[in-house]
Amino acid sequence: MTMLSSVAERLYWMSRYLERAEDTARLVGAYNHLIMDIPRGSEPAWDIMIRILEAEHAFEERYRAVTEQNVIKLLLADTAAPCSIPFAIATARENVRTTRDVLPEEAWELVNELHLYVGEAAKSSVGRRNRHTFLAEVIARCQMINGLLLSTLSRDHAYRFIKLGRLLECADMGTRVVDVGAGDILDRAGSHAAIEPLLWSALLQALSASSAYRREIGPIVEKNDVVNFIFTQGNFPRSIKFCVAGIREELTPLNNHEQALRAINRIRRRLNRLAVDALSREELHAFIDDFQLQLSALHQSIADTWFRIEAP
Amino acid sequence: MTKGWKGYKAGGFYDELITGKGSPRTAARQALRLLQSLPEEDMDSRRQSADLAIREMGISFTVYTEGGNIDRAWPFDIIPRIITGKEWAQVSRGLQQRSRALNCFIDDVYNEQRILADGIVPADIVLDSPNFKAPCVGMSPRYGAWAHICGSDLVRDQRGRFFVLEDNLRVPSGVSYMVENREITKRVLPELFENYSILPVDDYPLKLYETLAQLSPRQRRRPTVVVLTPGIYNSAYFEHAFLAQGMGAELVEGTDLFVDSDDCVYMRTVDGPARVDVVYRRIDEEFMDPEAFRADSVLGVPGLMRAWKQGNVAIANAPGAGVADDKVIYAYVPDMIRYYLGEKPLVNSVPTYLCMREKDRDYVLANLPKLVVKPANESGGYGIMVGPHSSKATHREFARLIEKDPRNYIAQPTLSLSTAPTYVDGQIEPRHLDLRPFILQGRDCWVTPGGLTRVAMKKGSLVVNSSQGGGSKDTWIVEGKA
Repeated sequence: MTMLSSVAERLYWMSRYLERAEDTARLVGAYNHLIMDIPRGSEPAWDIMIRILEAEHAFEERYRAVTEQNVIKLLLADTAAPCSIPFAIATARENVRTTRDVLPEEAWELVNELHLYVGEAAKSSVGRRNRHTFLAEVIARCQMINGLLLSTLSRDHAYRFIKLGRLLECADMGTRVVDVGAGDILDRAGSHAAIEPLLWSALLQALSASSAYRREIGPIVEKNDVVNFIFTQGNFPRSIKFCVAGIREELTPLNNHEQALRAINRIRRRLNRLAVDALSREELHAFIDDFQLQLSALHQSIADTWFRIEAP
Repeated sequence: MTKGWKGYKAGGFYDELITGKGSPRTAARQALRLLQSLPEEDMDSRRQSADLAIREMGISFTVYTEGGNIDRAWPFDIIPRIITGKEWAQVSRGLQQRSRALNCFIDDVYNEQRILADGIVPADIVLDSPNFKAPCVGMSPRYGAWAHICGSDLVRDQRGRFFVLEDNLRVPSGVSYMVENREITKRVLPELFENYSILPVDDYPLKLYETLAQLSPRQRRRPTVVVLTPGIYNSAYFEHAFLAQGMGAELVEGTDLFVDSDDCVYMRTVDGPARVDVVYRRIDEEFMDPEAFRADSVLGVPGLMRAWKQGNVAIANAPGAGVADDKVIYAYVPDMIRYYLGEKPLVNSVPTYLCMREKDRDYVLANLPKLVVKPANESGGYGIMVGPHSSKATHREFARLIEKDPRNYIAQPTLSLSTAPTYVDGQIEPRHLDLRPFILQGRDCWVTPGGLTRVAMKKGSLVVNSSQGGGSKDTWIVEGKA
């Protein structure tokens, strides 16, 4: 059973946006948790989330002051900003609306309910009181949708493009969090040494990696172990290595995959050569920068090969 | 008990559930007993669960004029309409007969034109009509079937007799709502089903697939069927997706298809081009192929007509089928049944005055306040004048319109549409309704058990179109004694 190129493209974006909504919710949740634990004045500034999500432009268009209220309003309640949770959910929903025929029937109901929930709850969740419930609910519902797709979709093209979208987004978000988050911690250069472990664990939490890290590495969190874990711990399903392997697995059976396979193999080689211990702050940043370029080249080759097919 | 059940009066109209004397009709007795036993709050909470189910199932239709908010929840009344199997069998036979005659007519006018030569239907009203498509002349689709999917609108008069009001042969919609209405009723009033055997409606997508698959030019076990939609902004997009999913077919837009130099239709897929056998088009023929019809259409597929004429793809409904979907042609359907089938019409048509005929026109102009005047070529309830409900100024305006372009207008007596108890603003009141069954015509002919019941939610109103604030009801065909 083949699949329309246009449908493959919509499934891919549906999946990316759902993953983005979930990841953004985790990120905000982890930061929220963090600020309550550390002394006033030593917490990372609120705009760290804006920098991670590359949402500086959207933020500056709307607000001047970088305050908790403004940042949270943008990420949780703004329906027009591409970096916000409501925008991601609405876009995912639009893509499901136009691909209902290849998804299990409950997929539309779940995405639609999530959209309705976000529409109703987002505004009242800007304040600290309801924020946690809202974020937890968004994450849980995204996971429910993923679970539904994982347990009911035939392993065919629909599943394949959904998985590609999710893993690419997950790898993209993972590298951003490490880039900005680790940068922030390292820039402090020992000025708040006592709270550094808290910051590294918040970073793990933002990627849902805390408990997996504890089991594999132990309770002590420090830079090299954390960065290594996130990039190269192949058993952990949100690690970059795991995402890359999954993408490669799904590209392999597709027709006309030469260009995309070349791109993913380049990424894999780069990852295999990564030696975190030897990297300075700047080198780490340069590595991630280049890695992000590779990811976007991979996206481009997927789009060129399977989404926009010209008539012969 | 909810307000309005006691002393319920349909005011001289035929009511679907309750007789003029106020007692339940036999088939409705069990259902009414249960509905009337529900406390007021319970009735309201059921209505709310229905609204919730509709929102969650995402059953919607789209309205153009509402700016950003394009999706409206489907309006639904929880009290079902109940029709006996015996009565329906009769209507169903009448609809099959009509469908056969209409398809004979279309096939005839694009080929031998016997009916015109024999003077049964005046040649000029067919050949000069914008619905007569010259590129279709000489085509003979398999089984002589042109209008594979027909949605006929039925109403009942004061005595409860069914009349066909019109036959929609282009891209009739509403069938998905028929299926979903049943699903909602099952969710919110499950007890109602205990004492009835109700004919199921959810096999429609399967019947549609069987009909379409029969048309495939290539003999394959599973022909490739696609549903061609104008896209997400079309008011019936929900239905297009619903049917594609129900048939396991691809839902495509014009840009997903192309016609290659071999005059075959292909869709663009992740594995490369894939040949298409049957196109179920939910797009007006005018927009279907910019090469053959409107050159400015961006929705269509260039070359689609060419592929169809070469016999490389089947299209449903066939281009040109609209020639029989015309309120003037409608007046001749009983004659067609006699002419092609040699049978007596089994279901009534509404007496129709054609303003193009002088005698009819004089009558219409003299009796505008009593009549319903309709443009011959519009759908969706637009441009209609309901005489008894219109002002003198409107009567004058329509008199002018008719004199200017008599071919474009027909008139019919104002029918007293039947009513059914409907839950409005916390109480039960009679509301007018119609019924749209769907008829599938391929090798065989098949009619949906029941159809989509549309309700005019405004008191006294006869306009049931969802684009104009109409609602809908689940429609039951019940077998045996209830």
